[in-house]
Amino acid sequence: MSDKTTFEGRGIVKGNVTGPALVSRTPFSFLGDVDIRTGDVIGELSDLRGRNIAGRVLVVPATRGSAGAWRFLYQLKQHGTHPVAVITGELPDPSVVQGAILSGVPIISGLADRIGNTVTDATLLCVDGDSGVVTVIEAQ
Amino acid sequence: MRLSDQDKALLDGVKGDVDRQAMEALVQLGEAFDAEDMVDIGYAHVHAGMAMYLGDVELMEELAERGARMAVPASTNIANADMENWQATRAPESLVRLQKRAETAHNTMGTGGCFTCTPYWAGHWPTWNTHMASIESGVTVFCNSVLGARSNRDGFFAVYAGMTGRYPRFGLHLDENRKPTHRVVVEAAPSGTADFTVLGYAIGSQTTNAIPLITGLERRPNLDELDALGVGMATSGGVAMFILPGVTPPYGDGDAGLGAGLPSLPIQERDLRAVYEDFCSGEHSRFDIVHLGCPHASFEEMKHYAQLLDGKMVKPGVELWITTNRTVRQMARDSGLLRPIEASGAKVISDTCPISCHFARTASPDPALGVEPPTLRAIVVDSAKQARYIRDMIHCPTLLTTTEKAVETAVSGTFVPRW
Repeated sequence: MSDKTTFEGRGIVKGNVTGPALVSRTPFSFLGDVDIRTGDVIGELSDLRGRNIAGRVLVVPATRGSAGAWRFLYQLKQHGTHPVAVITGELPDPSVVQGAILSGVPIISGLADRIGNTVTDATLLCVDGDSGVVTVIEAQ
Repeated sequence: MRLSDQDKALLDGVKGDVDRQAMEALVQLGEAFDAEDMVDIGYAHVHAGMAMYLGDVELMEELAERGARMAVPASTNIANADMENWQATRAPESLVRLQKRAETAHNTMGTGGCFTCTPYWAGHWPTWNTHMASIESGVTVFCNSVLGARSNRDGFFAVYAGMTGRYPRFGLHLDENRKPTHRVVVEAAPSGTADFTVLGYAIGSQTTNAIPLITGLERRPNLDELDALGVGMATSGGVAMFILPGVTPPYGDGDAGLGAGLPSLPIQERDLRAVYEDFCSGEHSRFDIVHLGCPHASFEEMKHYAQLLDGKMVKPGVELWITTNRTVRQMARDSGLLRPIEASGAKVISDTCPISCHFARTASPDPALGVEPPTLRAIVVDSAKQARYIRDMIHCPTLLTTTEKAVETAVSGTFVPRW
């Protein structure tokens, strides 16, 4: 593969990981939308309902607010059911950012629309939270 | 981000690896939210370490073992079991033992271990313009709106703020963000803490992340009602601050006109009725627990409960739980208030509450603890916050009414609705 496609957003939480994408068009709540033990999405308001976020690069337009979100993201990490990175459109709220820093889950914001229109589920993405650059490694 | 020499020294590790970790995390947070610099904080309300969540107590133990200490006055948020009176809630002993390890870690770190969502009733009372950090959204809204302190809705990083005494300057730490965004016109006559949680809930349901200017109240709410008002809107709308002229520093009585030109939001009695009805999903004769004290009761509320229960008996087959913090429980004990309460059969519980204890089905405890949430038919409550999270976390029906009618309910065995 040559001429790798890259996207430049805003690095919010540092870290460098590679994983398969999971693309959503609906805002995501770490408190309530996901079963901590399995990583299964159970929230009725999420279009990912029935899917699993473990090990994926989660692409969501926004995170829905709750002051407890950090704890649920950290619990996903404790159970090994966490997304390996999160790409958002809007800046996530402080609790999500705090949970992601604590859990070592990189976040890039300002990108969900552009990426969501280009990549599909299972496209392999390299996420660099330090620089804010997402690289498409392997299109599916 | 502009850092002080002291901030840079922490990043260089002069105070050790654990303080470097805390400062690095705070800098990352500040950069995410375009903070120009850090402020000195005067208070932090921090994570307890929760036994109902895998590895969570260990998170606090690890900090304590690595040398973390609180650099400013700090208090602990609510925990998952009453560490003194846990038999009253039938909590598994394994859970209590784990919870107590978090208490030991906080003792090492020098945190004021009040294990409560109302640390102000335990004496943690930050004053006007004190920058602070808080993990509990109800504490954030009370301190911003009633005390005039400056707090965002934080998560775990309140611990890092407490350790370093620093916090990035963004959000409600900036004057420009402490101005009203909506004007609420109250066209109802709420009275008592239940009504005020419901009023707050109704406001928050219609104004997400707003700073509502509250007008139209017939009288100045008392401290318990102000606490209830903020907690209600923090629950439904993520509200971190309201402005009640004459109460919220520095807004005076004459500032009600500030809301001219802002989106107007009338709240009528029917809006309050709708919240009560929404949280009356249980059958009126089928409930297991009546709960008072969300947020954790103040001394004044304990006095009120003692008066309501004096000479009464809780109906056999019904449990009446009163949750407060351990400091207020001790004050109530010393003042003779626990006698009429406990003589009625009611249970006074500290450090936790129904939604924070082993009832929660959305928690994720270590399976080795053997925590099994009981099946409950319904819980009667006098707080919209407790009702909302019973629905979302315990997954059981609720019956919401006033404090006085909740006590009548516990004594008669039949639910007494607000209207």
